[in-house]
Amino acid sequence: MKEELFVSGRWIPKIDPYLEIWHWSIPVYLFLGGLSAGILFFAALYTILGKEKEMPTTVKWATFLVPAALVIGLLCLFIDLKHKAYFWQLYTIMRFESPMSWGAWVLLFITPVSIAWSASFLKELWPDWNWKYPILEKFEKLFIEYRKYVAWLMIAQAVILGIYTGILLSAFNARPLWNTSLLGPLFLVSGLSTGVATIMWMSKNKAERRLLSKIDLLLISIELFLIIHLFMGFLASSAVQIEAAELFLGGAFTVPFWVFVVLLGLIFPAVLEFLELRGYHIPALIPSLMILVGGLVFRFIMVDAGQITRYLY
Amino acid sequence: MSDRSKKYLNPYLGGILLGFILLATFYITGRGLGASGAVKSTVTSVVHTITPAHADTSPYYKKILAEGNPMSNWLVFEVIGILAGAFISGALAGRLKLKVEHSPKITAKRRLIFAALGGLAFGIGSQFGRGCTSGAALTGMASLSLAGFVAMMAIFGSGYVFAYFFRKNWI
Repeated sequence: MKEELFVSGRWIPKIDPYLEIWHWSIPVYLFLGGLSAGILFFAALYTILGKEKEMPTTVKWATFLVPAALVIGLLCLFIDLKHKAYFWQLYTIMRFESPMSWGAWVLLFITPVSIAWSASFLKELWPDWNWKYPILEKFEKLFIEYRKYVAWLMIAQAVILGIYTGILLSAFNARPLWNTSLLGPLFLVSGLSTGVATIMWMSKNKAERRLLSKIDLLLISIELFLIIHLFMGFLASSAVQIEAAELFLGGAFTVPFWVFVVLLGLIFPAVLEFLELRGYHIPALIPSLMILVGGLVFRFIMVDAGQITRYLY
Repeated sequence: MSDRSKKYLNPYLGGILLGFILLATFYITGRGLGASGAVKSTVTSVVHTITPAHADTSPYYKKILAEGNPMSNWLVFEVIGILAGAFISGALAGRLKLKVEHSPKITAKRRLIFAALGGLAFGIGSQFGRGCTSGAALTGMASLSLAGFVAMMAIFGSGYVFAYFFRKNWI
């Protein structure tokens, strides 16, 4: 007798009806990745523009955070991996059509560059610093000599890293909330903004902070513009996209998104920064912290909400 | 002292503005202002997170939890808004710095201890009275509720009486 066993219906745990594969480590990683991209972008930009003296925190001191942020971020990514022993296989191939491949490769380059970048300023921080090995001394000398060229390389990598944190999600074509090309620029701008917020927090230089405030106001405006267009795009799209947008327009994510991300993470710090530019005294910590928390909440919401949205019914 | 008048709004004007805010709140949200309700929600959800068993058996918490997630209450968001708005107001008046306001005759530490004790007493009292100055007295009187007038008189009346015993902390 020939027996055949049929399993009917849709039984795909953790994929259907909702994706349940990404938890806290992914949004934390996306946040740290975006933050690093932001800090490195402006460090490279002001090095290329030759403003190391006017923007010391941007070019030098804030970059000391980046290696730590990247390492912690990568650790989060590693924790999330199912087959941890095979992560190296990402480096056996470069696939241009895969955001993960882009991310893996850009991280492989940008992490050592960021370490070398901040290390090259160590002697300015502690004049007595000694590298102990002559080869390191020689490398430092070489790095400082060619810093401007490295900056060009770093600015490109920072942009790729920033965009990658968004397209990592948008490459999921089965998740309508993620499957929009606006996510790349949106995450890039948000990452740049969190980077600027961190530098502002650290900076003691008034002129530098003023300039950074202006940049951040511009970035927040762009971010708000992109958020509005994200929803305009969803609402003008097919039923699944409209349903995805409705999670934020009356659905479960309405309050966390509009109150904690848009209002308290973007508009309120923007008002404070505007007041600061008008000469009112605002402790630097407050707007910076709000932007950072807003950026983190934004990534948590996007990762969580995106996993809920779907095509199949 | 001349500095002070620039830093603070005229109290009569402030009171009238507060009335208009209350009016606007009724118009927009359909209900009044409150403050202790937000604390109640926060405390309830913290207790529910840490010891769910206790929260589910306590008659006080049980009743609040039965109405759904205590944090999805408009008062919680109102209080977040108050913090944000107060921050901007403080910045505009140039008063944004960390300091303890107290009478020159007492130390900052004493002021903080008494403030905490007073706050505790008021928190407990507000739960017996089913609301605080904003929720019971202000909003209650605005809706012409008799209990609102009683609450207002009781809060400020007992305030006058008890102030006698603690006046040395200020004068």
